[in-house]
Amino acid sequence: MSTDTTLSAAAAQPAAKPRSRRMSTSTILLIVAGALVGLSLVHQLANAPDVTSSGAIQAALQAAVPLGLAGLGGLWAERAGVVNIGLEGQMILGTWFGAWGSLEFGPWIGLLIGILGGAVGGLVHAVATVTFGVDHIISGVAMTILAPGVVRYLSYITWGSAGATQSPQVVDQVPRLSVPGVNSLKGLEEHQWFLISDIAGVLRGLLHEVSLVTILAVLLIPLTAWVLWKTAFGLRVRSVGEDPQAAESLGLNVYRYKYYGVVISGAMAGLGGVYLSTVTSAIYREGQTGGRGYIGLAAMIFGNWRPGGLAVGASLFGYTDALQLRRGSESVHALLILVGALLLALAVWEFIRRNRVVAISSAVLGVLSYVLFFSVDKIPTALVQAAPYITVLVVLALAAQRLRPPAADGKPYRRGG
Amino acid sequence: MKVLAAAAVAIVALGSMAACGDDKGDTPGTASSGATKKSVKVGLAFDIGGRGDKSFNDSAATGLDRVKSELNLEVKDLAAVAGESENDKYARLKLLCTTGYNPVIAVGFVYDGADAKNGPLARAAKDCPNTKFAIVDGGTTADNVADLVFAEEQGSFLVGAAAALKSKTGTVGFIGGCQVDLIKKFEAGFTAGAKAAKADVKVLTNYLSTPAEACKGFNDPAGGKTAATGMYDQKADIIYAAAGGSGTGVFEAAKAKNALAIGVDSDQYNTVTDASLKTVIMTSMLKRVDNAVFNFVKDFGEDKFKAGPTVFDLKTDGVGYSTSGGQVDDIKDKLDKFKADIVAGTITVPTK
Repeated sequence: MSTDTTLSAAAAQPAAKPRSRRMSTSTILLIVAGALVGLSLVHQLANAPDVTSSGAIQAALQAAVPLGLAGLGGLWAERAGVVNIGLEGQMILGTWFGAWGSLEFGPWIGLLIGILGGAVGGLVHAVATVTFGVDHIISGVAMTILAPGVVRYLSYITWGSAGATQSPQVVDQVPRLSVPGVNSLKGLEEHQWFLISDIAGVLRGLLHEVSLVTILAVLLIPLTAWVLWKTAFGLRVRSVGEDPQAAESLGLNVYRYKYYGVVISGAMAGLGGVYLSTVTSAIYREGQTGGRGYIGLAAMIFGNWRPGGLAVGASLFGYTDALQLRRGSESVHALLILVGALLLALAVWEFIRRNRVVAISSAVLGVLSYVLFFSVDKIPTALVQAAPYITVLVVLALAAQRLRPPAADGKPYRRGG
Repeated sequence: MKVLAAAAVAIVALGSMAACGDDKGDTPGTASSGATKKSVKVGLAFDIGGRGDKSFNDSAATGLDRVKSELNLEVKDLAAVAGESENDKYARLKLLCTTGYNPVIAVGFVYDGADAKNGPLARAAKDCPNTKFAIVDGGTTADNVADLVFAEEQGSFLVGAAAALKSKTGTVGFIGGCQVDLIKKFEAGFTAGAKAAKADVKVLTNYLSTPAEACKGFNDPAGGKTAATGMYDQKADIIYAAAGGSGTGVFEAAKAKNALAIGVDSDQYNTVTDASLKTVIMTSMLKRVDNAVFNFVKDFGEDKFKAGPTVFDLKTDGVGYSTSGGQVDDIKDKLDKFKADIVAGTITVPTK
């Protein structure tokens, strides 16, 4: 137990520093309120009812969950100092094992089996990177190539030649819950009143017919934050990602904590996979992850290696994805009003703070958004589908100096070295 | 740690087995059936999705199975992997043609590659000049390549008309798996058919992906469900899903919203595994890839190989619509009238 107290004292100092930059609850509420007013304005100005409709919010939530889980997976691994680019592969394992388990043993055990499938993927990555010191990127890419092969083989021996690429329909799903009375907001939503209808739509989207797995996944965000930042276990995991030598000198088994981080990482990605194959759809389908593991990783970088930030990133990407899928580019086109306004506001702010380069580039992007808004009625689909990637690029370009990955992230570590 | 290492090695070995263990052809040892024509071995390379997609690939698989059972030929099929490169596709075709398979059938426009002149099929056809190739949905031109193409717009026209006639809200939807010319043909035919049946019908359209994303929209049931739910929320009550494996997501959305959907390529009323989804499938646009594959092999056997495009349309029953479930029985007369008009040439269906 003595390691415990020494370590907490040692790391209390650096942990306190970023906290000073953290937002208070009132700021967060203010931002949420601002976003709602902004979206209501977009709704009215561009006549785009879908930006706050309950259907869109529900779809956005469902699209964001797998991204957020992949992001959490990335967070756990990278906080322990291991880059896990194999998230996509662990997600694929999750989709298959989740669907298979649900078909064989029912939805709850299926969920567990899917998580275990992802965790095994994480374990393989941990064996390669931690025990054998393989380059993290190479092992991760190998994982992403290996996983589709493994599940194709498993599909073939489980469902035979008639179903090598997809499972039978998963009929039995985890139940969905609704907050009582929230369905009556439907009437309010249909009135199209400024702000009131929008709030009704958002509430109904978030509280009506929500799968228990969604609730579980959303709870994992604060749970991760609590475990990693408030418990001795989390402190140890983070310490091996920041300075493994120092952690070792204090008597910590660095390998073991790296293993914990990477296996939990795989489990999170696995849960993201199960979610795809048994909650948002009811079938396992080869290739159904479609790069979501990578977007999750992008969400994590967007969120500055923090649970709250990655949740915002995943929500943003899920939201644009949902809008685009539901109405083509119509709603996303309307969103340009908001994006342009935000970028111009940022330009003014950065100009005052004498950040000329950032100010000018965001001003140019802001003006471009409005040019695009007024010159076309529909944004080309390809552009909308590239939106998550463009967002990450813009964020990286504008905020790269302020992003802070764990200090020993991705660096090889050898015991006693 | 040694146990873990052994486990890792075992899993890697499993992966490499999977990479080469997914063919399901007959072993050459079964000579009894192939005794008469043992020299002809038919090879077939699937599109992404492969056997079991309950749609496009399964239709090709049906044709191949008929080749095996009715023509008594040895067959071998190889599946593609999502996200693979053009080189992988080329290697697959070359593997077939260099190991004695002739003819070789490539299923899906992906075998054209980005540039049909130097794509996977074009390169394989050059490497094996004595092998006859066929490509379903493709446009590769070579002396030893037959292009089996379909008039999907004609079949889509009929299901578009059916959707418009059956719609109670006056709004119908189209969901494409990938924004490519081939799938745009489906959209053009569907829209034209819907407008021909009811001039004031509103047609919503959306695509799940673009070629830039490797057309992942053919394998994204979650995306299909979201897109379909979005359209049903916009008062559409019948949606045509030309999206391969994402179609099941559209059917799930239809079931949840108590609405209808139209299947594609195969008769999806018969191919969905969940019986409760059958009731939402009003009809399916049939693309008889099975007939095309079977006839191509048959013609090859009778020395009637023809390079270049062969079009399968309404006239030759290469496309059509399904009646399983009986939901379009009451409008069958009207649909057959449209069909006759298209065959006679009085209606020309647009392809763009």
